[in-house]
Amino acid sequence: MHSRLTPYLLIAPLLAFIAVFTYVPILTSVNLSFREWDFLTAAKPWVGTENYRLVLTSNQFWNSVQVTAIFALISVPLRLMLAIGIASYLVREALPQRLLRGALFLPSVTSTVAIAVVFSWLFATDYGVINAALAVFGLPKVYWLQDPQLALWVIILVNTWKQLGYDIVIYIAGLQAISPDLYDAANVDGGKRFHVFRRVTVPLVMPTTYFLLVISVIEAFQVFTVVDVMTRGGPAGATDMVVNMLYRVGFTLFDIGQGSAIAVLLFILLIGLAIFKARVLGRRVHYEA
Amino acid sequence: MFDTLKTAAATSLLALASNAAFAETTVEFWHSFSGTSGEVLDGIVADFEAANPDIDIDAQHIGNYNDIVTKLQAAIPARRAPDAVIMEVTRYGLFADRGVLTDLTGYLEADPLKDELFDFAREVGVFEGKNFIVPFNSSTPVLYVNTAIFADAGMEDIPALTNFDEILTAAQKVQAELGDEGISGIAAPGQFARWGLIMANDSDLIDSVSGEILIDAPNTVEAYKWMASLVHEHGVASVDGVTKENNGRDAFLAGKVGMMMNSTGNYRRSKTALGDDLLVLPMPCNKTCAAPIGGAGIGILSTSSDEVKDAAYKFISYAAGADSNAKWFAGTGYMPINKMTKDQPVAAAALEGEPGITVAIEQLSVARGRPRPPVVTWMRASEYDMWQAMALGQRDVTETLRDFASQTRAEEARTN
Repeated sequence: MHSRLTPYLLIAPLLAFIAVFTYVPILTSVNLSFREWDFLTAAKPWVGTENYRLVLTSNQFWNSVQVTAIFALISVPLRLMLAIGIASYLVREALPQRLLRGALFLPSVTSTVAIAVVFSWLFATDYGVINAALAVFGLPKVYWLQDPQLALWVIILVNTWKQLGYDIVIYIAGLQAISPDLYDAANVDGGKRFHVFRRVTVPLVMPTTYFLLVISVIEAFQVFTVVDVMTRGGPAGATDMVVNMLYRVGFTLFDIGQGSAIAVLLFILLIGLAIFKARVLGRRVHYEA
Repeated sequence: MFDTLKTAAATSLLALASNAAFAETTVEFWHSFSGTSGEVLDGIVADFEAANPDIDIDAQHIGNYNDIVTKLQAAIPARRAPDAVIMEVTRYGLFADRGVLTDLTGYLEADPLKDELFDFAREVGVFEGKNFIVPFNSSTPVLYVNTAIFADAGMEDIPALTNFDEILTAAQKVQAELGDEGISGIAAPGQFARWGLIMANDSDLIDSVSGEILIDAPNTVEAYKWMASLVHEHGVASVDGVTKENNGRDAFLAGKVGMMMNSTGNYRRSKTALGDDLLVLPMPCNKTCAAPIGGAGIGILSTSSDEVKDAAYKFISYAAGADSNAKWFAGTGYMPINKMTKDQPVAAAALEGEPGITVAIEQLSVARGRPRPPVVTWMRASEYDMWQAMALGQRDVTETLRDFASQTRAEEARTN
């Protein structure tokens, strides 16, 4: 009896922690998504699926889903391709590579708000350094954060700059796990550099790629700070991500019910994406060389 | 060993007894002032604590008015709300309506301060006939002019800037002469100035008496059209000030903008930045002369104990008193709220040496309080995106305001 209980007792503290900080908030959000509440009153009347109806019939919500999807579709592959390319160069244990690793990782441990503020000034139309540099070459000023066609690209650039270092470090760890014998064999067989990369490196870091894909898609759908600081979802909703809309509805417009409904819908969407990735890509991931 | 323990126990008891003798009532106070304003406020808090050693004011800078609203609404259900809080004069109605703020009418009626406050200051704290905040910092928007920029643009004598056309003409002149040097004619108006310009066009966003939503009223639409045209049609205001309102102010302080319409709360920093090149003028009178009263007052949370409420009110009353208000007025440029403030030496000196401040005070004759029903908090939060779309020329002004008015009416029906 005693030995049967022991494993459960050992994991009980962690389970309690996860329950309190993960499952209780999720269940609370689900509960609130069926109620009307403004945070200020004790009453939280039950409104059934009304919040979901309002969200799902709102143009703003579908715009934010579309913007977030475009952001994820561009930024995730961009991050992964840049990261594996740079990591392949930085995997060597030499001083320049070590210094570059540190430099590239620095943005990952820097405050996102600070980064976003600095980039806001860099990309300012009339007062920004980038347009000032363009002016030196006689080029016209670019409305980086005011043009709906450009603002999302700026957000993608800043987010990629911020996250790239983390992806590189994970890829370096994955690359270092590949046996040098495999590269020696490929070289003996006369494999060209790109060919070896495509046929040896890419398949063997697939577990790392899969891990980063899962993480970065989730991150992409939860991107908030960069957008909130740089554009607040504008101009004209061009950078309005789902989480920015959630924050605005819940914490600025005082509609916790609709905000929770958006959170639940995002949760379902992310679970759906995780299942899709596991079914489609998970089968192609091999953990043995 | 035993003696040591006895001594330690006796010392502990003595310490506890001492604490009981000097038992402090702590008032957690959230505010929005940093920099110079924060330092002046800290001085007022320190003076109050010196005069009231039994009360400790735990003053915390939370962020701007929007941040306070957001954090307060999150803190209330978490039971971590403060005891006293600075609330902007149009945003406290929601909290008063929901019973979050204490009705201070009884406190104020029994306080001699009631007769010392200017009528406008007393009025901004009233919601549905009851006092929920006591004013602390009051302001109106004014027109700040950088005379050095005007002189460089060939306007040594500052032209009349009393209506929309005159302001636009001057801004165009600055832009034409100095635009190549990176200088803009005017800063894109922030939300407070936008409201002021709508009032100067003989309209409002919400009628402060009847509560009627006037967002799509012809004069409001006309005012927004003019404001938006400064950015996307005439190009005399930088788009950077539309994306982030403070960018326009910061550029003005950096000597990169000819004019700025902004709160009197920016007077001190503008004076520091521009020195004698700063000229302060009243807001334009386009169709009429009118200006909004802004700023904030201090409210007390209804969840605090009676003892803490009493202590908090004592502080609020002290902060609005003539002595504190004089220090606040002289140190920040916010307007006096107390009739006796001007008699205080520090305020008299400020008035004498800073003619710019008197402009705002004289403008009080046409200033009025703004509406504060619960929907105003929602409306102000939503207005930024509407303004951005109009100012950047991405949406038609009339259509945007019609849509915004319709949304605001729906929200009003929902929240009331």
